[in-house]
Amino acid sequence: MPVSDDEVFERFPDVLITYDNIEHYRGLLEQKLLINRCDDCGYWIYPHRPLCPRCWSWSVTPSQVSGRGQIYLLTRIQQARANDLAGQQQGAVVLVAVELAEQKGLRYLSTVDEVAFTDLRHDMAVELTWIERNGLRVPAFRPAHLHEEARVG
Amino acid sequence: MARNPLRGQVAVVGVGSTRYVRDARKTHLGLGLEAAVAAIKDAGIDKSEIDGICGSGRDTFSVGDATYLAVQGGLGIEATTWVLNSWLGTCFVYAAQAVATGLCDTVLIVQAHRRGADTSQSAVADPFRQRAAALTGAGIWRNSDLAQRWYHSGEAYAGWTARYMHDYGASKDVFGRIAVNNRSHAVRNPNAVMRTPITLDDYHESREIWAPMQLLDMDVPVDIGEALVLTTAERARDLPGKAVYVDAMSMGGTGVGEYYENGIGWTELSPWRAMAGMWNRTDLGVDDLDLFFPYDGFTVGAVQFTEAAGFCGPGEAADLFESSWDKQRSILRLRGRTLVTTNGGNLSQGRSGGFNYYAEAVRQLRGDCGDRQAEGARTALIGAGSFYHDPVAVLLTAEPQ
Repeated sequence: MPVSDDEVFERFPDVLITYDNIEHYRGLLEQKLLINRCDDCGYWIYPHRPLCPRCWSWSVTPSQVSGRGQIYLLTRIQQARANDLAGQQQGAVVLVAVELAEQKGLRYLSTVDEVAFTDLRHDMAVELTWIERNGLRVPAFRPAHLHEEARVG
Repeated sequence: MARNPLRGQVAVVGVGSTRYVRDARKTHLGLGLEAAVAAIKDAGIDKSEIDGICGSGRDTFSVGDATYLAVQGGLGIEATTWVLNSWLGTCFVYAAQAVATGLCDTVLIVQAHRRGADTSQSAVADPFRQRAAALTGAGIWRNSDLAQRWYHSGEAYAGWTARYMHDYGASKDVFGRIAVNNRSHAVRNPNAVMRTPITLDDYHESREIWAPMQLLDMDVPVDIGEALVLTTAERARDLPGKAVYVDAMSMGGTGVGEYYENGIGWTELSPWRAMAGMWNRTDLGVDDLDLFFPYDGFTVGAVQFTEAAGFCGPGEAADLFESSWDKQRSILRLRGRTLVTTNGGNLSQGRSGGFNYYAEAVRQLRGDCGDRQAEGARTALIGAGSFYHDPVAVLLTAEPQ
Protein backbone atom coordinates (compact mmCIF):
# COMPACT_ATOMS: atom_id res chain seq x y z
CA MET A 1 0.00 0.00 0.00
CA PRO A 2 1.65 3.27 -1.11
CA VAL A 3 2.50 5.81 1.56
CA SER A 4 0.10 8.77 1.41
CA ASP A 5 1.19 12.41 1.11
CA ASP A 6 -0.23 13.09 4.58
CA GLU A 7 1.93 10.34 6.03
CA VAL A 8 5.08 11.76 4.41
CA PHE A 9 4.34 15.17 5.94
CA GLU A 10 3.65 13.56 9.31
CA ARG A 11 6.76 11.39 9.40
CA PHE A 12 9.04 14.34 8.43
CA PRO A 13 7.57 17.23 10.45
CA ASP A 14 10.62 19.51 10.23
CA VAL A 15 11.62 18.93 6.63
CA LEU A 16 10.76 21.15 3.67
CA ILE A 17 8.60 18.75 1.65
CA THR A 18 7.56 20.15 -1.74
CA TYR A 19 5.97 18.95 -4.97
CA ASP A 20 9.49 18.60 -6.37
CA ASN A 21 10.87 16.39 -3.59
CA ILE A 22 7.95 14.48 -2.03
CA GLU A 23 8.72 11.29 -3.97
CA HIS A 24 12.24 11.33 -2.55
CA TYR A 25 10.89 11.47 1.00
CA ARG A 26 8.25 8.86 0.26
CA GLY A 27 11.11 6.66 -0.91
CA LEU A 28 13.07 7.26 2.32
CA LEU A 29 10.15 5.83 4.31
CA GLU A 30 10.63 2.64 2.30
CA GLN A 31 14.40 2.83 2.73
CA LYS A 32 15.03 3.72 -0.86
CA LEU A 33 17.27 6.57 -1.96
CA LEU A 34 15.48 8.02 -4.98
CA ILE A 35 16.98 10.73 -7.16
CA ASN A 36 15.18 12.20 -10.18
CA ARG A 37 16.47 10.91 -13.49
CA CYS A 38 15.66 12.31 -16.91
CA ASP A 39 13.65 9.84 -18.98
CA ASP A 40 14.96 11.35 -22.21
CA CYS A 41 18.70 11.76 -21.68
CA GLY A 42 19.39 9.76 -18.52
CA TYR A 43 20.84 12.70 -16.57
CA TRP A 44 20.56 12.43 -12.77
CA ILE A 45 19.07 15.62 -11.38
CA TYR A 46 19.86 16.91 -7.91
CA PRO A 47 18.65 18.94 -6.01
CA HIS A 48 15.17 17.64 -6.71
CA ARG A 49 13.88 19.42 -9.81
CA PRO A 50 11.00 18.75 -12.22
CA LEU A 51 13.07 19.77 -15.28
CA CYS A 52 16.24 18.19 -16.67
CA PRO A 53 18.95 20.90 -16.68
CA ARG A 54 20.79 19.19 -19.49
CA CYS A 55 18.10 18.60 -22.13
CA TRP A 56 15.09 20.53 -20.69
CA SER A 57 12.79 17.54 -20.66
CA TRP A 58 9.96 17.72 -18.12
CA SER A 59 9.84 13.94 -18.05
CA VAL A 60 11.76 12.91 -14.95
CA THR A 61 11.34 9.78 -12.84
CA PRO A 62 12.48 9.32 -9.23
CA SER A 63 14.92 6.42 -9.57
CA GLN A 64 16.76 4.32 -7.06
CA VAL A 65 20.52 4.80 -6.94
CA SER A 66 22.94 1.92 -6.31
CA GLY A 67 24.00 3.40 -2.99
CA ARG A 68 27.67 3.31 -3.97
CA GLY A 69 29.81 6.41 -4.00
CA GLN A 70 32.93 8.19 -2.81
CA ILE A 71 33.38 10.85 -0.17
CA TYR A 72 33.97 14.26 -1.81
CA LEU A 73 33.62 16.64 1.16
CA LEU A 74 33.77 15.84 4.86
CA THR A 75 33.58 17.74 8.13
CA ARG A 76 32.55 17.35 11.74
CA ILE A 77 30.30 19.96 13.31
CA GLN A 78 31.43 20.43 16.91
CA GLN A 79 29.38 23.53 17.50
CA ALA A 80 26.14 24.55 15.79
CA ARG A 81 25.26 28.23 15.38
CA ALA A 82 23.11 29.77 18.11
CA ASN A 83 20.04 30.17 15.85
CA ASP A 84 20.40 26.74 14.26
CA LEU A 85 17.68 24.87 16.10
CA ALA A 86 18.08 21.72 14.04
CA GLY A 87 21.83 21.78 14.64
CA GLN A 88 21.50 22.14 18.42
CA GLN A 89 19.38 18.99 18.62
CA GLN A 90 21.83 16.87 16.70
CA GLY A 91 24.94 17.63 18.76
CA ALA A 92 28.33 16.86 17.23
CA VAL A 93 27.67 15.39 13.80
CA VAL A 94 29.78 14.17 10.91
CA LEU A 95 28.70 15.42 7.49
CA VAL A 96 29.86 13.97 4.20
CA ALA A 97 29.02 14.98 0.66
CA VAL A 98 29.06 11.65 -1.18
CA GLU A 99 29.61 11.67 -4.93
CA LEU A 100 27.30 8.89 -6.08
CA ALA A 101 28.60 6.33 -8.56
CA GLU A 102 25.82 7.10 -11.04
CA GLN A 103 27.22 10.42 -12.25
CA LYS A 104 30.20 12.73 -11.77
CA GLY A 105 29.17 15.66 -9.62
CA LEU A 106 26.03 13.97 -8.30
CA ARG A 107 26.53 14.61 -4.61
CA TYR A 108 24.29 13.76 -1.70
CA LEU A 109 24.84 15.15 1.77
CA SER A 110 24.56 12.65 4.60
CA THR A 111 26.32 11.26 7.65
CA VAL A 112 28.43 8.16 8.27
CA ASP A 113 28.06 4.87 10.13
CA GLU A 114 30.49 2.15 11.25
CA VAL A 115 33.50 4.45 10.92
CA ALA A 116 35.20 7.03 13.12
CA PHE A 117 35.55 10.57 11.77
CA THR A 118 39.33 10.30 12.04
CA ASP A 119 39.31 7.25 9.76
CA LEU A 120 37.47 9.03 6.95
CA ARG A 121 39.45 9.79 3.81
CA HIS A 122 38.58 11.89 0.76
CA ASP A 123 37.47 9.72 -2.17
CA MET A 124 37.05 6.63 0.01
CA ALA A 125 34.51 4.16 -1.34
CA VAL A 126 31.30 4.11 0.66
CA GLU A 127 27.91 2.49 0.39
CA LEU A 128 24.43 3.43 1.53
CA THR A 129 23.07 2.10 4.79
CA TRP A 130 20.23 3.13 7.08
CA ILE A 131 20.47 4.33 10.66
CA GLU A 132 17.95 5.20 13.31
CA ARG A 133 17.33 8.89 14.00
CA ASN A 134 14.29 10.44 15.71
CA GLY A 135 12.20 7.31 15.15
CA LEU A 136 13.03 7.11 11.44
CA ARG A 137 15.44 5.07 9.36
CA VAL A 138 17.54 7.66 7.55
CA PRO A 139 20.36 7.37 4.99
CA ALA A 140 23.98 7.12 6.08
CA PHE A 141 27.14 5.88 4.39
CA ARG A 142 29.60 3.27 5.61
CA PRO A 143 32.94 2.17 4.20
CA ALA A 144 32.26 -0.08 1.21
CA HIS A 145 34.96 -2.66 1.95
CA LEU A 146 33.38 -3.73 5.25
CA HIS A 147 30.44 -5.23 3.42
CA GLU A 148 32.68 -7.11 0.99
CA GLU A 149 34.81 -8.55 3.78
CA ALA A 150 31.71 -9.93 5.50
CA ARG A 151 30.87 -11.85 2.34
CA VAL A 152 34.33 -13.36 1.83
CA GLY A 153 34.38 -15.10 5.24
CA MET B 1 15.62 66.59 -18.19
CA ALA B 2 17.48 63.78 -16.44
CA ARG B 3 20.27 62.01 -18.31
CA ASN B 4 19.17 58.68 -19.86
CA PRO B 5 22.10 56.89 -21.48
CA LEU B 6 20.17 53.60 -21.74
CA ARG B 7 17.47 55.02 -24.01
CA GLY B 8 16.97 52.65 -26.94
CA GLN B 9 19.94 50.52 -25.86
CA VAL B 10 18.13 47.62 -24.14
CA ALA B 11 15.55 45.35 -25.82
CA VAL B 12 13.06 42.75 -24.59
CA VAL B 13 13.35 39.74 -26.93
CA GLY B 14 11.53 36.91 -25.18
CA VAL B 15 8.37 36.46 -23.12
CA GLY B 16 6.97 33.38 -21.41
CA SER B 17 3.95 32.96 -19.14
CA THR B 18 2.40 29.95 -17.43
CA ARG B 19 -1.36 29.49 -17.19
CA TYR B 20 -2.85 31.57 -14.38
CA VAL B 21 -4.56 29.14 -11.99
CA ARG B 22 -5.63 29.03 -8.34
CA ASP B 23 -3.84 25.78 -7.55
CA ALA B 24 -1.07 24.67 -9.89
CA ARG B 25 0.30 21.92 -7.59
CA LYS B 26 3.79 23.00 -8.56
CA THR B 27 6.57 24.60 -6.57
CA HIS B 28 7.48 28.26 -6.88
CA LEU B 29 10.63 27.11 -8.68
CA GLY B 30 8.72 24.78 -10.99
CA LEU B 31 6.46 27.63 -12.09
CA GLY B 32 9.46 29.90 -12.61
CA LEU B 33 11.32 27.30 -14.67
CA GLU B 34 8.30 26.76 -16.88
CA ALA B 35 8.05 30.46 -17.66
CA ALA B 36 11.82 30.75 -18.14
CA VAL B 37 11.95 27.93 -20.67
CA ALA B 38 9.11 29.53 -22.62
CA ALA B 39 10.78 32.96 -22.63
CA ILE B 40 14.18 31.63 -23.73
CA LYS B 41 12.58 29.59 -26.54
CA ASP B 42 10.56 32.63 -27.58
CA ALA B 43 13.79 34.65 -27.77
CA GLY B 44 15.27 32.05 -30.12
CA ILE B 45 18.58 31.79 -28.25
CA ASP B 46 20.50 28.99 -26.66
CA LYS B 47 20.49 28.96 -22.86
CA SER B 48 24.28 29.38 -22.91
CA GLU B 49 23.78 32.94 -24.10
CA ILE B 50 22.14 33.89 -20.79
CA ASP B 51 24.80 35.60 -18.66
CA GLY B 52 22.56 37.37 -16.15
CA ILE B 53 19.64 36.19 -14.03
CA CYS B 54 17.15 38.04 -11.89
CA GLY B 55 15.25 35.58 -9.71
CA SER B 56 12.17 35.93 -7.66
CA GLY B 57 11.93 37.16 -4.07
CA ARG B 58 13.89 39.06 -1.48
CA ASP B 59 16.00 36.23 -0.12
CA THR B 60 19.06 34.61 -1.70
CA PHE B 61 18.46 31.40 0.20
CA SER B 62 14.80 30.62 -0.48
CA VAL B 63 14.92 26.91 -1.20
CA GLY B 64 12.23 25.59 -3.49
CA ASP B 65 11.64 29.11 -4.81
CA ALA B 66 12.57 30.59 -8.17
CA THR B 67 15.63 32.42 -6.88
CA TYR B 68 18.58 33.06 -9.18
CA LEU B 69 20.55 30.22 -7.61
CA ALA B 70 17.86 27.64 -8.22
CA VAL B 71 16.94 29.01 -11.64
CA GLN B 72 20.52 28.97 -12.86
CA GLY B 73 21.02 25.44 -11.56
CA GLY B 74 17.62 24.29 -12.70
CA LEU B 75 18.10 25.48 -16.28
CA GLY B 76 21.70 24.26 -16.49
CA ILE B 77 23.23 27.67 -17.18
CA GLU B 78 26.94 27.37 -16.50
CA ALA B 79 28.16 30.92 -15.99
CA THR B 80 26.70 34.33 -15.22
CA THR B 81 28.30 37.68 -14.42
CA TRP B 82 25.22 39.36 -12.95
CA VAL B 83 22.64 37.93 -10.56
CA LEU B 84 19.97 39.30 -8.22
CA ASN B 85 16.72 38.37 -6.53
CA SER B 86 14.02 40.99 -6.79
CA TRP B 87 10.25 41.35 -7.10
CA LEU B 88 7.25 43.51 -7.96
CA GLY B 89 7.98 45.59 -11.02
CA THR B 90 11.42 46.68 -9.92
CA CYS B 91 13.11 43.45 -10.99
CA PHE B 92 12.73 44.67 -14.57
CA VAL B 93 14.61 47.90 -13.85
CA TYR B 94 17.51 46.13 -12.15
CA ALA B 95 17.81 43.61 -14.97
CA ALA B 96 17.67 46.22 -17.73
CA GLN B 97 20.26 48.27 -15.90
CA ALA B 98 22.59 45.25 -15.83
CA VAL B 99 22.44 44.88 -19.62
CA ALA B 100 22.81 48.63 -20.14
CA THR B 101 26.00 48.81 -18.06
CA GLY B 102 27.65 45.73 -19.54
CA LEU B 103 27.48 43.60 -16.42
CA CYS B 104 25.78 41.06 -18.64
CA ASP B 105 24.62 40.99 -22.25
CA THR B 106 21.54 38.78 -22.05
CA VAL B 107 19.48 38.70 -18.88
CA LEU B 108 16.71 36.34 -17.83
CA ILE B 109 14.13 37.70 -15.39
CA VAL B 110 12.02 35.12 -13.58
CA GLN B 111 9.16 35.90 -11.25
CA ALA B 112 6.87 33.36 -9.64
CA HIS B 113 4.06 33.85 -7.19
CA ARG B 114 2.15 31.23 -5.19
CA ARG B 115 -0.84 31.69 -2.95
CA GLY B 116 0.29 32.04 0.63
CA ALA B 117 -0.68 29.55 3.31
CA ASP B 118 -3.05 32.09 4.84
CA THR B 119 -4.88 33.35 1.75
CA SER B 120 -7.92 31.07 1.93
CA GLN B 121 -9.48 28.11 3.77
CA SER B 122 -8.11 25.71 1.16
CA ALA B 123 -4.64 27.21 1.48
CA VAL B 124 -4.70 26.75 5.25
CA ALA B 125 -5.61 23.08 4.73
CA ASP B 126 -2.94 22.50 2.05
CA PRO B 127 0.07 20.73 3.61
CA PHE B 128 2.40 21.86 0.82
CA ARG B 129 1.55 25.51 1.41
CA GLN B 130 1.76 25.14 5.19
CA ARG B 131 5.11 23.41 5.07
CA ALA B 132 6.54 26.04 2.69
CA ALA B 133 5.33 28.79 5.01
CA ALA B 134 6.95 27.15 8.04
CA LEU B 135 10.31 26.14 6.60
CA THR B 136 11.35 28.83 4.15
CA GLY B 137 12.65 32.29 4.99
CA ALA B 138 13.58 32.49 8.67
CA GLY B 139 12.20 28.96 9.06
CA ILE B 140 15.06 27.32 7.20
CA TRP B 141 16.95 27.05 10.50
CA ARG B 142 14.41 24.49 11.69
CA ASN B 143 14.85 22.17 8.70
CA SER B 144 16.13 18.95 10.24
CA ASP B 145 17.04 17.07 7.06
CA LEU B 146 20.82 16.70 6.82
CA ALA B 147 20.59 16.44 3.04
CA GLN B 148 19.16 19.97 2.87
CA ARG B 149 21.59 21.38 5.40
CA TRP B 150 24.35 23.13 3.53
CA TYR B 151 22.24 25.65 1.76
CA HIS B 152 21.75 27.50 5.02
CA SER B 153 25.02 27.29 6.86
CA GLY B 154 28.70 28.07 6.46
CA GLU B 155 29.66 24.52 7.38
CA ALA B 156 30.38 23.61 3.78
CA TYR B 157 33.40 25.91 3.86
CA ALA B 158 34.91 23.51 6.38
CA GLY B 159 34.38 20.73 3.87
CA TRP B 160 36.06 22.82 1.18
CA THR B 161 38.99 23.63 3.50
CA ALA B 162 39.63 19.91 3.96
CA ARG B 163 39.13 19.12 0.26
CA TYR B 164 41.60 21.87 -0.74
CA MET B 165 44.19 20.48 1.65
CA HIS B 166 43.67 16.98 0.21
CA ASP B 167 43.71 17.98 -3.47
CA TYR B 168 46.71 20.30 -3.27
CA GLY B 169 48.69 18.77 -0.42
CA ALA B 170 48.40 21.95 1.64
CA SER B 171 48.61 22.25 5.42
CA LYS B 172 46.52 24.67 7.45
CA ASP B 173 49.41 27.15 7.26
CA VAL B 174 47.97 28.59 4.05
CA PHE B 175 44.81 29.59 5.93
CA GLY B 176 46.78 30.64 8.99
CA ARG B 177 48.77 33.17 6.93
CA ILE B 178 45.53 34.99 6.10
CA ALA B 179 44.51 35.00 9.77
CA VAL B 180 47.90 36.36 10.88
CA ASN B 181 48.12 38.92 8.06
CA ASN B 182 44.68 40.33 8.77
CA ARG B 183 45.31 40.46 12.51
CA SER B 184 48.65 42.24 11.99
CA HIS B 185 46.86 44.99 10.05
CA ALA B 186 44.08 45.18 12.65
CA VAL B 187 46.64 45.72 15.41
CA ARG B 188 47.41 49.07 13.74
CA ASN B 189 43.76 49.95 13.04
CA PRO B 190 42.10 51.83 15.94
CA ASN B 191 38.69 50.89 14.48
CA ALA B 192 39.24 47.13 14.61
CA VAL B 193 37.89 44.93 17.41
CA MET B 194 40.64 42.27 17.47
CA ARG B 195 43.93 44.08 18.08
CA THR B 196 46.05 41.53 19.94
CA PRO B 197 48.86 40.23 17.69
CA ILE B 198 48.75 36.53 16.87
CA THR B 199 51.32 34.10 15.52
CA LEU B 200 50.85 31.06 13.32
CA ASP B 201 51.17 28.94 16.49
CA ASP B 202 48.31 30.87 18.11
CA TYR B 203 46.29 30.20 14.98
CA HIS B 204 46.94 26.45 15.08
CA GLU B 205 45.99 26.27 18.75
CA SER B 206 42.59 27.94 18.38
CA ARG B 207 39.48 25.90 19.12
CA GLU B 208 38.03 23.65 16.42
CA ILE B 209 34.50 24.58 15.37
CA TRP B 210 33.76 22.66 12.15
CA ALA B 211 36.63 20.28 11.39
CA PRO B 212 39.16 21.43 10.20
CA MET B 213 38.01 25.05 10.60
CA GLN B 214 39.00 26.69 13.84
CA LEU B 215 37.95 29.83 15.66
CA LEU B 216 40.68 31.94 14.02
CA ASP B 217 39.47 30.82 10.58
CA MET B 218 36.19 32.61 11.18
CA ASP B 219 35.16 36.25 11.19
CA VAL B 220 34.29 38.10 14.39
CA PRO B 221 30.66 39.27 14.74
CA VAL B 222 30.21 42.98 15.48
CA ASP B 223 27.53 45.72 15.44
CA ILE B 224 28.38 48.32 12.81
CA GLY B 225 27.17 50.61 10.04
CA GLU B 226 28.87 51.45 6.73
CA ALA B 227 27.73 53.72 3.88
CA LEU B 228 29.05 54.96 0.54
CA VAL B 229 27.96 57.63 -1.92
CA LEU B 230 28.66 57.17 -5.64
CA THR B 231 28.11 59.61 -8.47
CA THR B 232 29.28 60.24 -12.02
CA ALA B 233 32.95 61.02 -12.72
CA GLU B 234 31.77 64.33 -14.18
CA ARG B 235 30.07 65.39 -10.95
CA ALA B 236 32.96 64.05 -8.88
CA ARG B 237 35.35 66.53 -10.54
CA ASP B 238 33.45 69.44 -8.93
CA LEU B 239 33.28 67.94 -5.45
CA PRO B 240 35.81 68.99 -2.81
CA GLY B 241 37.09 65.54 -1.78
CA LYS B 242 39.37 63.13 -3.63
CA ALA B 243 37.23 60.73 -5.66
CA VAL B 244 38.03 57.07 -6.21
CA TYR B 245 36.93 55.49 -9.49
CA VAL B 246 35.30 52.22 -10.47
CA ASP B 247 37.45 50.64 -13.16
CA ALA B 248 35.70 47.30 -13.68
CA MET B 249 33.38 45.00 -11.81
CA SER B 250 31.56 41.72 -12.14
CA MET B 251 29.37 39.40 -10.16
CA GLY B 252 29.42 35.64 -10.69
CA GLY B 253 27.12 32.67 -10.78
CA THR B 254 27.50 28.99 -11.55
CA GLY B 255 25.22 26.04 -12.11
CA VAL B 256 25.62 24.94 -8.48
CA GLY B 257 22.08 25.78 -7.48
CA GLU B 258 21.50 26.40 -3.82
CA TYR B 259 23.53 23.47 -2.47
CA TYR B 260 27.21 24.02 -1.78
CA GLU B 261 28.24 20.49 -2.64
CA ASN B 262 26.31 20.27 -5.86
CA GLY B 263 28.63 18.93 -8.43
CA ILE B 264 31.45 21.33 -9.05
CA GLY B 265 35.11 21.67 -8.11
CA TRP B 266 37.34 24.29 -6.47
CA THR B 267 38.04 26.25 -9.65
CA GLU B 268 34.42 26.26 -10.79
CA LEU B 269 32.98 28.01 -7.74
CA SER B 270 31.53 31.45 -8.29
CA PRO B 271 34.48 33.67 -7.20
CA TRP B 272 36.29 32.39 -10.30
CA ARG B 273 33.40 33.58 -12.47
CA ALA B 274 33.40 37.00 -10.84
CA MET B 275 37.14 37.46 -11.27
CA ALA B 276 37.07 36.26 -14.88
CA GLY B 277 34.18 38.61 -15.61
CA MET B 278 36.01 41.57 -14.08
CA TRP B 279 39.39 40.92 -15.77
CA ASN B 280 37.49 40.65 -19.05
CA ARG B 281 36.37 44.28 -18.64
CA THR B 282 39.70 46.07 -18.04
CA ASP B 283 43.21 46.15 -19.41
CA LEU B 284 44.72 46.30 -15.93
CA GLY B 285 46.11 43.07 -14.54
CA VAL B 286 47.05 41.42 -11.27
CA ASP B 287 50.55 42.97 -11.47
CA ASP B 288 49.01 46.45 -11.34
CA LEU B 289 47.43 45.92 -7.93
CA ASP B 290 48.58 47.82 -4.83
CA LEU B 291 45.84 46.55 -2.52
CA PHE B 292 43.80 43.34 -2.49
CA PHE B 293 40.85 42.46 -0.30
CA PRO B 294 39.96 38.74 -0.59
CA TYR B 295 36.86 37.79 1.32
CA ASP B 296 37.70 36.65 4.84
CA GLY B 297 34.34 35.55 6.22
CA PHE B 298 36.36 32.34 6.48
CA THR B 299 40.07 32.06 5.69
CA VAL B 300 39.33 29.52 2.93
CA GLY B 301 37.39 32.23 1.08
CA ALA B 302 40.45 34.46 1.07
CA VAL B 303 42.56 31.64 -0.36
CA GLN B 304 39.98 31.02 -3.08
CA PHE B 305 39.68 34.70 -4.05
CA THR B 306 43.50 34.97 -4.14
CA GLU B 307 43.75 32.10 -6.62
CA ALA B 308 40.65 33.19 -8.55
CA ALA B 309 42.16 36.67 -8.95
CA GLY B 310 45.19 35.11 -10.60
CA PHE B 311 47.93 35.89 -8.07
CA CYS B 312 48.87 32.23 -8.49
CA GLY B 313 47.43 29.06 -9.95
CA PRO B 314 44.96 26.73 -8.22
CA GLY B 315 46.53 25.10 -5.18
CA GLU B 316 49.58 27.39 -5.27
CA ALA B 317 48.56 29.85 -2.55
CA ALA B 318 50.70 28.15 0.10
CA ASP B 319 53.88 28.76 -1.93
CA LEU B 320 52.72 32.27 -2.85
CA PHE B 321 52.08 33.21 0.78
CA GLU B 322 55.45 31.77 1.87
CA SER B 323 57.35 33.74 -0.74
CA SER B 324 55.22 36.84 -0.10
CA TRP B 325 55.66 36.86 3.67
CA ASP B 326 57.13 39.95 5.34
CA LYS B 327 58.54 38.41 8.53
CA GLN B 328 59.22 41.72 10.19
CA ARG B 329 55.61 42.92 10.02
CA SER B 330 53.93 39.49 9.84
CA ILE B 331 52.00 40.49 6.72
CA LEU B 332 51.66 39.43 3.10
CA ARG B 333 53.09 41.39 0.19
CA LEU B 334 51.79 39.35 -2.75
CA ARG B 335 54.37 39.05 -5.51
CA GLY B 336 56.43 41.56 -3.56
CA ARG B 337 53.94 44.37 -4.08
CA THR B 338 50.27 43.88 -3.16
CA LEU B 339 49.15 44.44 0.44
CA VAL B 340 46.25 42.33 1.63
CA THR B 341 43.25 43.51 3.68
CA THR B 342 44.87 46.51 5.30
CA ASN B 343 42.03 47.18 7.76
CA GLY B 344 42.08 43.72 9.33
CA GLY B 345 39.09 42.50 7.34
CA ASN B 346 36.16 40.54 8.67
CA LEU B 347 38.43 38.27 10.65
CA SER B 348 39.89 41.05 12.77
CA GLN B 349 38.22 44.41 12.09
CA GLY B 350 34.77 42.86 12.21
CA ARG B 351 32.14 40.94 10.31
CA SER B 352 30.58 43.21 7.74
CA GLY B 353 29.98 40.88 4.83
CA GLY B 354 33.11 42.19 3.15
CA PHE B 355 31.53 45.64 2.79
CA ASN B 356 34.21 47.12 5.08
CA TYR B 357 36.69 46.64 2.25
CA TYR B 358 35.20 49.47 0.21
CA ALA B 359 35.65 52.11 2.91
CA GLU B 360 39.23 50.98 3.54
CA ALA B 361 40.09 50.88 -0.19
CA VAL B 362 38.69 54.38 -0.68
CA ARG B 363 40.52 55.81 2.34
CA GLN B 364 43.79 54.20 1.23
CA LEU B 365 43.41 55.39 -2.38
CA ARG B 366 42.62 58.89 -1.10
CA GLY B 367 45.84 58.83 0.94
CA ASP B 368 43.90 59.35 4.17
CA CYS B 369 45.25 56.57 6.34
CA GLY B 370 47.97 58.39 8.29
CA ASP B 371 50.49 56.02 9.81
CA ARG B 372 48.54 53.07 8.29
CA GLN B 373 48.89 54.51 4.78
CA ALA B 374 50.00 52.05 2.11
CA GLU B 375 52.70 54.02 0.26
CA GLY B 376 51.63 55.10 -3.22
CA ALA B 377 48.43 53.05 -3.29
CA ARG B 378 46.67 53.73 -6.64
CA THR B 379 44.71 50.50 -7.29
CA ALA B 380 42.60 48.18 -5.14
CA LEU B 381 40.83 44.92 -5.99
CA ILE B 382 37.98 43.76 -3.82
CA GLY B 383 36.90 40.13 -4.07
CA ALA B 384 34.05 39.39 -1.71
CA GLY B 385 31.20 36.93 -1.38
CA SER B 386 30.30 33.31 -1.03
CA PHE B 387 31.51 30.31 -3.02
CA TYR B 388 28.15 29.93 -4.62
CA HIS B 389 26.20 33.20 -4.28
CA ASP B 390 26.92 36.95 -4.38
CA PRO B 391 30.59 36.96 -5.29
CA VAL B 392 31.90 40.23 -6.67
CA ALA B 393 35.15 41.43 -8.11
CA VAL B 394 35.43 45.24 -7.99
CA LEU B 395 38.49 47.10 -9.22
CA LEU B 396 38.94 50.67 -7.91
CA THR B 397 41.54 53.19 -9.02
CA ALA B 398 42.72 56.55 -7.67
CA GLU B 399 42.43 58.04 -11.18
CA PRO B 400 40.14 57.07 -14.08
CA GLN B 401 42.05 54.85 -16.54
